[in-house]
Amino acid sequence: MLENKNKKVLPTLREGAGSLLIVLIALSAVIALSLILSKNPGKTLGYFFLGPLQSRYYFGNMLNSAIPLIFGGLGVSLAMQSGNFNLGGEGQIYGGALITTLCTIYFAPLGIVGALLALFAGASTAGALAGFSGFLRMKWNTSELITSFLISNAVLLVVNYLIAGPFLDPSTSLIATRKIPETFRLSALLPPSNLSTALFFALVAVITVHIYLYKTKSGYELRMTGLNSRFAKYGGINTKKFIVLPMFLSGFLYGLGGGFAIYGTYFASIKEFSAGMGWNGLAVALIAKNKPSAVIPAALFFAYIEAGARSAMLHSDVTFEIAAIVQSIVFFLISSEVLLTLFEKKRRPA
Amino acid sequence: MMHFSIPILHSAVTIMTPLLLASMGGLFTELSGMLNIALEGLLLTGAFFSVVFTYFTGSMIAGTLLGIGCTMLLSAILASVTLNLKSNVFITGLAVNLFASGLTVVLSFALFANKGVVVFDNIRPLPLLGTPRLASIPILGDIFIGHSAFVYLSWLLLVICYFVLYRTPFGFRIRATGLHQEALSSLGMRPNAYRFASFLISGFTCGLGGAMLTLNLGAFVPNITAGKGWIALVVIFLGNKKPFGLFIAAFIFGLADAFSNYAQGALNIPSDFILAIPYVFTLLAMIGSSIYAKNKGAIES
Amino acid sequence: MELAVEMLNITKTYPENNLRANDGVDFVLRKGEILCLAGENGAGKTTLMKVLYGLEDHEEGTIKIRGNQENISSPMVANRLGIGMVHQHFMLVEDFTVAQNVLMGIEPRKHRISYDLKKAVTLVNEVIERHHFSIEADMVVRNLTVGQKQQVEIIKMLYRDVDILILDEPTSVLTEQEIESLFSTFRQLAKRGKSLILITHKLREIKAISDRVSVMRNGKMLGTYETDEVDERQISALMMGKSISFFIEHTKKDDESRPVIEGRKITVLRQGQERPLLNGLSFTAYSKEILGFAGVSGNGLGVLEAVLGGFIPTFDGKVLHNGKDITNIGTALLRKQGLAYVPSDRLHIGSSLKATVQENIIVGESGSFKKNGFLDQKRVTKHTNDLLQRYSAKATAQMPIGTLSGGNIQKVILAREIERYRDYIVFSEPTWGLDVASSQFVYEQIASLRDKGAAVILISSNLDEMLTIADRIIILYRGTRVASFSGDEARALSKEEIGEYMLGIRNQGDRGA
Repeated sequence: MLENKNKKVLPTLREGAGSLLIVLIALSAVIALSLILSKNPGKTLGYFFLGPLQSRYYFGNMLNSAIPLIFGGLGVSLAMQSGNFNLGGEGQIYGGALITTLCTIYFAPLGIVGALLALFAGASTAGALAGFSGFLRMKWNTSELITSFLISNAVLLVVNYLIAGPFLDPSTSLIATRKIPETFRLSALLPPSNLSTALFFALVAVITVHIYLYKTKSGYELRMTGLNSRFAKYGGINTKKFIVLPMFLSGFLYGLGGGFAIYGTYFASIKEFSAGMGWNGLAVALIAKNKPSAVIPAALFFAYIEAGARSAMLHSDVTFEIAAIVQSIVFFLISSEVLLTLFEKKRRPA
Repeated sequence: MMHFSIPILHSAVTIMTPLLLASMGGLFTELSGMLNIALEGLLLTGAFFSVVFTYFTGSMIAGTLLGIGCTMLLSAILASVTLNLKSNVFITGLAVNLFASGLTVVLSFALFANKGVVVFDNIRPLPLLGTPRLASIPILGDIFIGHSAFVYLSWLLLVICYFVLYRTPFGFRIRATGLHQEALSSLGMRPNAYRFASFLISGFTCGLGGAMLTLNLGAFVPNITAGKGWIALVVIFLGNKKPFGLFIAAFIFGLADAFSNYAQGALNIPSDFILAIPYVFTLLAMIGSSIYAKNKGAIES
Repeated sequence: MELAVEMLNITKTYPENNLRANDGVDFVLRKGEILCLAGENGAGKTTLMKVLYGLEDHEEGTIKIRGNQENISSPMVANRLGIGMVHQHFMLVEDFTVAQNVLMGIEPRKHRISYDLKKAVTLVNEVIERHHFSIEADMVVRNLTVGQKQQVEIIKMLYRDVDILILDEPTSVLTEQEIESLFSTFRQLAKRGKSLILITHKLREIKAISDRVSVMRNGKMLGTYETDEVDERQISALMMGKSISFFIEHTKKDDESRPVIEGRKITVLRQGQERPLLNGLSFTAYSKEILGFAGVSGNGLGVLEAVLGGFIPTFDGKVLHNGKDITNIGTALLRKQGLAYVPSDRLHIGSSLKATVQENIIVGESGSFKKNGFLDQKRVTKHTNDLLQRYSAKATAQMPIGTLSGGNIQKVILAREIERYRDYIVFSEPTWGLDVASSQFVYEQIASLRDKGAAVILISSNLDEMLTIADRIIILYRGTRVASFSGDEARALSKEEIGEYMLGIRNQGDRGA
């Protein structure tokens, strides 16, 4: 048994070396950008790399911004492990969040049950949006990648309308719905930062998805379908089911991410509050290579870059958007077969 | 009816132009077998650099050309990372979008110490073209005459696009690359060379489309493209991957956009609904065409 | 005599499965001749030609074209040297016309930039007329029959003035008439000084068309002969080779044998192909019996496998399991009904290379490893280790199955399928690419299943294998049954005689199952 473990560790390290190289390239990009753009690169770099770790406020906010990324990353990973693409995260988070907000307000008298129902309703709505794309692919082989994106775009617009129209809270200057009752808000973890106990739910979600994928029959069948659907079909697995189900679950997780953003951070559906979260969730899943356990470090890395950029912006003379440049460099290289296999020994079967 | 529909149609023609330009470039990559989701980022890059270079050179033409150059450079990077480093085109496309959104703001801040809207006073509005004779043609004259040079250039490019794809060896090879790349490689040609060229063409048309967005305004607004590149991708599908199909599809989106502004005010229909219609329309068209393909395939098996 | 091609001592090993596809092969093609490269499946013919065409590299050996030593690193280089290849799978753009496909890369131009579509049609029509083909240059490829598409591929090469033409199994999908006209084209080409290599295993065609025939077996070149000086039987004997003797006991079908799987007039069609893939095939597989389906590939064995595995629907006819209709119910339901099946494509269908050995073992059976709703990993690993030991497969439960050797992968698949069999089991090409020891192991497993009462269906193009273990043999040729023998009857016949049935030289008529 021990011998097996050792055999597993080495290839993992080698696979990791490629990712590490990419992280190093990204970090050198930070240094290069500071040298070019900043009058005081030393200071900028100091704040960039150490800022997020120095105060409770920055550290808490960094962790908080990782939460929706974790949910989104899990959602995308699940879909990708089954061989499906979910490109509709933006609409699914936003839609899920709105339904959760509204249901919470209506179900408030039910107490904790109401909260659970509201989260479930929001997540299921988002799940249905993604699941529909899965259904279309199963039924007529319509590209789920394009349809999930189209549906998401339409949903974004409709939700915008609903927030600005029928459900607008006229009492604030924001374009937003009413806030959820205070009793439903998750407690803060590191005040004055935005971090809430939603973090724990995110960790629970990671563990749940990990267990589902690797410890249950359904998760096993899902992965087999994704790895080689001809083999899965040959083995007697109902491969059609594993087009719709993973897409539904993927949307469900995105929706949960939206719901917890409401419960932990925003307390109301604010117009376009979740813009970019869907895409970033996708990015996190790609960096994590669709492994649930790797979603946490990937989300933290993504959040760290953003927090570092924010800290450097506040205390030095660069702007926050350098984060996007650094992230995009990671993105550019993360799927490169050439770079990732640079360190892998060519696998030659014995 | 006429009194309000003609201004709407007129502005629809303006709004559709960047979409048409970006989708034309996207059509080349699509036909060569690559889903180019980087259109958004390329469009944004073109928008930023065109206006900035126009500001520095004082010439719109020079500015636009330099802007196009920068966009083509970015699309060349996209192509080489995708094709030579063997990355997933979908992921590198997202990277370009993210990169462009970051780079434009970072440079805007570095050059003008401004992350918001940068207004360039020395840039005059785009001249509107047309002769009184043409403009006096009833209805058509009102709709199609009196636009900027970009609009007429996009029509010209559409004809060229059709010509290149269907009337030149280059176009046949691009289409063959997407349809059955072994048909090229088994005869000793390199499909990836044609993909690379398609990416460059995408860069060219997106650069031009972006230039129109900012030069029209005389300003750069962060994220000025606001999803237009994504819509251009949808236009390709709705236009059934045919050059003149793109024209109709882009017009539908342009019309929805123009009409939504009107409907919001005059008819009290929320603009968001109207903007959502083309997506739903595209979705239905895609479902329809896949049902058709499936039924056709069923007979074959 | 002028030589077009000389290949000396070519050796090529596929790293994926360590298969030595070409082992010190010498090959010579004369100018202006038609040469058939013959051999059974897996003999190494296609590999050798891919090396010549620059599609595969090789570890050892030299190639001379018209006397000059060349390094053919890609099809581009091959084309430049005047070598063309028509692949078994067409390299055509279906939406383009014949002319557009033929002229890909060398299009005629008007005003330097535009594609002169009219001239293209004229140019290609000239070639078509010169060689008396039956198509027209402005036809869209999608609307052509398979035979016509093949013509397009040949025209493509002719237009390029290729003078060494390789054709991989050019007749496998054609009708008799199409084959006849194709052959007359070949003869004309040879007369014009072109040299042709036909990869084939059809004896009749070798006799009909070739000047010389080169025979390969197991990656080695056995020799090249003037076609006039050898008869079909001699070629067949060379192709089939001497059998390696495996020791398997045969049992007589006893009275307790009962029908388990019945096929009734199974017909499978494919559009664009005139001839059915399976044509009214009927058979009965009994318990305690190994029923073999023999034939040369392309004659319906693979289609039969796909039908039994639930991958393709039948057009007509029925499949019954213990009298129950199981026609076209799909793989998942077939599995529930008791299908156990070792597929011929063990790398893409039989296993999931990136998944671990134990994940490969429990596919379809994962439900029986549940504990409190979760998969009991310990039990899965224990079960897997147990099987690996019993089937003496060199592997551990947690390693990706893709890192195993071909023989060990097959052992894992066998272990899984034999464990789940209930009353029948399908084997397709179970020893393809395996060494002698592994093959013997597979045969022992199959025989012991039969002895335990299984109805075994063995689909194989390997005649030795058939004669070694089958209790009854049905021979398929062009999707129909041309002969059936009991195992003893078959073993009493010479291999050459059976080979003649497989190759369509003889036909028993329908004697009934």
